[in-house]
Amino acid sequence: MYEGIRSPAVHLPKTMSDLVSVATRFPNATFWAGGTFLMSRHDYYPTRDSNDIISLSEVPDLGRINRTDRYLEIGSMVTFEDMLKVGKQVLPGLLQETLERTATRIVRRHITMGGALCTEGIRLALPGTLVSLQAEVEVKTCLGPKTETKWLDLHRLYDKLGVLQLKKNELITRIRLGFERENFSYFITAGNPMLNPQETVFLSFACSYNQSVIQKFSMCLTFPTSLILVPKEIDMMMQGTLLPLTSQQISRVVRNVMEEILSASPQEYPPMQIERARGFVESAMHELNAQSLSER
Amino acid sequence: MKINCTIDNKSISLTVNSNKPLNLILMEDVEAPNMDARCRDGFCGNCVVLLNDEAVLSCLIPAFKLKGARVLTFDGFKRTRFWHDLERAYEDTGSHPCPHCYASKTLIFEALLQTIVKSDEGPSRDEEPSEETIVEEIALNRCPCLDAHEMIDIFKAAATYRRRRRVRRY
Repeated sequence: MYEGIRSPAVHLPKTMSDLVSVATRFPNATFWAGGTFLMSRHDYYPTRDSNDIISLSEVPDLGRINRTDRYLEIGSMVTFEDMLKVGKQVLPGLLQETLERTATRIVRRHITMGGALCTEGIRLALPGTLVSLQAEVEVKTCLGPKTETKWLDLHRLYDKLGVLQLKKNELITRIRLGFERENFSYFITAGNPMLNPQETVFLSFACSYNQSVIQKFSMCLTFPTSLILVPKEIDMMMQGTLLPLTSQQISRVVRNVMEEILSASPQEYPPMQIERARGFVESAMHELNAQSLSER
Repeated sequence: MKINCTIDNKSISLTVNSNKPLNLILMEDVEAPNMDARCRDGFCGNCVVLLNDEAVLSCLIPAFKLKGARVLTFDGFKRTRFWHDLERAYEDTGSHPCPHCYASKTLIFEALLQTIVKSDEGPSRDEEPSEETIVEEIALNRCPCLDAHEMIDIFKAAATYRRRRRVRRY
């Protein structure tokens, strides 16, 4: 049954420099994080064109969570379950909710932070949440004996349609989150991105306000296969707005988001996704109003 | 690729493709009788096994992760004394999973029961799972044969037996 199918070579680098050297020598190899996404593809096995594998699980630097005065730095091989053990004091509520609502504990033990950002063709909820939290990622480029490392805003990792912009020789090594905490965060999801990606929508929303005046308004809407929308203009427009929002202001936000969705792609989105997105944005605004009123 | 591991308490040396999923290894190379899952996408939840005492979906574990690992399938689990806690819990509550998902759900229950044992060992260990967690974890197997109350009742009954077993041991 499996005649002619090659067994891919598995490389297990133990240090960062080993990793760089292996990645340089085998430029077509697949980086292997938790493997949950790769192995759930229908064409994963058996296949005739399997590349070599570079397993990242034995590089200790990638599995660390480091807390500095200003940032929480998370290695790309930290699993969702390990992240949830970090605790509520350190982890932003929005991120905690996103992780808890992704798969079940049995699967979360294998899903890694870096892996969830780099899935091919499907965006999970994590990228949207990290974009809302204005996270940065460290991208390492393996260029022969030299490596280049740069920090990027996470939203620059994807285009508007959610397509990953990493090159073959680039690797996410760390994710950095600031300790600034928002007064209000909201995460809502409907559908299962792996089973019904055409019906699934994620909304991550974080907002800071002081004395009922909005200071930061950060929203990210994700359709798993076709959109990561960060409506920057709305974010700018809402800064300085007084809470609670009026129904006209809510309608304007919803209308602007809908216009941005429709202009993001030349193809039409399924009506179910559009309707869910509209409902989610509206409900996020109402929740924000409710919280601001309850604090008066 | 040559892999040495323990499957159902037997040391085994396998020569398989390095990226072959564990569920296929169990079905084709080891011929485990209760492994019938081939959903190919990790979502039917019928291929649960215990890997180093943790429940995993075997379709998501590649062969190269098995070096030196301990794998316990339902058939191996039935030969342990811990199986009787769950067997008695099924009898006491009058609810049990259907034959299609019996093996998988039983192993998920077992993985949850092990977290209790760990939590009893010291404050720094995992806590006892909440009712919500029990339902969420069992729902990994998509078969709808048990409702939420039945899952919780089975778990509580089995947990009682497991705690007694632990007391007797000392």
